[in-house]
Amino acid sequence: MSIRHGLLALLSSGPRYGYQLRVEFEASTGATWPLNIGQVYTTLSRLERDRLVAPGGADEQGRAVYTITEAGREELERWFSTPVAQTDRPRDELAIKIAMAVAGGVDVAEVIQSQRVATMSWLQQLTKAKRTATGGLAQRLVLDSMIFKAEAEQRWLDHCEAVSKEKKQ
Amino acid sequence: MTVVSLRDVTREHGQVHALKGVSLEVSAGELVAVMGPSGSGKSTLLNLAGGLDRPTSGSVTIEGTDLAEVKDLAALRRGSVGYVFQDLNLIPSLTAAENVMLPRELDGVRAGQAREEALAVLAEVGAEEVADRFPEELSGGQRQRVAIARALTGERRLLLADEPTGALDTATGDEILHLLRARCDAGVAVLLVTHEPRYAAWADRVVYLRDGQIVESNAVRLESSR
Repeated sequence: MSIRHGLLALLSSGPRYGYQLRVEFEASTGATWPLNIGQVYTTLSRLERDRLVAPGGADEQGRAVYTITEAGREELERWFSTPVAQTDRPRDELAIKIAMAVAGGVDVAEVIQSQRVATMSWLQQLTKAKRTATGGLAQRLVLDSMIFKAEAEQRWLDHCEAVSKEKKQ
Repeated sequence: MTVVSLRDVTREHGQVHALKGVSLEVSAGELVAVMGPSGSGKSTLLNLAGGLDRPTSGSVTIEGTDLAEVKDLAALRRGSVGYVFQDLNLIPSLTAAENVMLPRELDGVRAGQAREEALAVLAEVGAEEVADRFPEELSGGQRQRVAIARALTGERRLLLADEPTGALDTATGDEILHLLRARCDAGVAVLLVTHEPRYAAWADRVVYLRDGQIVESNAVRLESSR
């Protein structure tokens, strides 16, 4: 998950200080990926090293303000125009677990059902968060993204169940 | 308060056991979703819960009345139960308001009062502006809103919905669930049959049917595994 590009995107609409970046990042992603302030400063110093942001002095309260550079804008543009590759995602533990259950003669139906109940609870929590969300469009779309993923997992579990049943018969 | 209760309900169609000993309760203000593959007994369950069909054994109780003791199921259905189906079956030659008025007029309510009630319930579901339009002039989402209004008119407190999001896109489907949820929070009991996890997730409880039996249910307060 790219904190680096998230911060660049926020800085592209104007100079900001560290704490402000943290608050805005969490607001626009619906606090789905909480950031600690340490991560923000570490990321900012790497961005500065790579000349993608520049320190822009301090505001009237003495807080260090950062500004995006021209190179930073180019990097951000490149990021938005590049699709996310499947291989950038971590290995799927659930798929491995089901595969191992099938290969190892474990009761697959039971593994599937307990996962189904857990995934549905997660989906119910996400839906509740969406119902009560007040954070505007960006937050809602992030929640929707997670809802679609949980739904895909649930459908895949149904598929696993149907296919492994067929095989048994 | 329990609005509908099924106790150890079995339904056989000839040799086929469509339901095998199902027990389920839905309370006022509760949204329960039933999921399961086709042929698992979902629609049979919904028909029994709404008094459209009688069980082979076991009992079904709607608002305290055991259906086995009711001669005129149709009257009980009209008074207590609203239905929303995938294919909306709004009557094409009637306006939205007239469609909503129809069940009340069948109950002998005067046209003026039926219209007043229809407009009120259309407003509740956010469809007041289409009251005088015909079904073919409405979008899929608007039509489903009108169908829900019709199911609620006459203050029916049990709503049965069979794949109510069937042909709708996900954003419109979400709006329909938002609406069902709001009716629920206002005290209606809703039993929803769906094969789509994203809509089932709006429920307080999700029940899984397999081969005519409930295999598991999850309540919203379950601890998450994540």
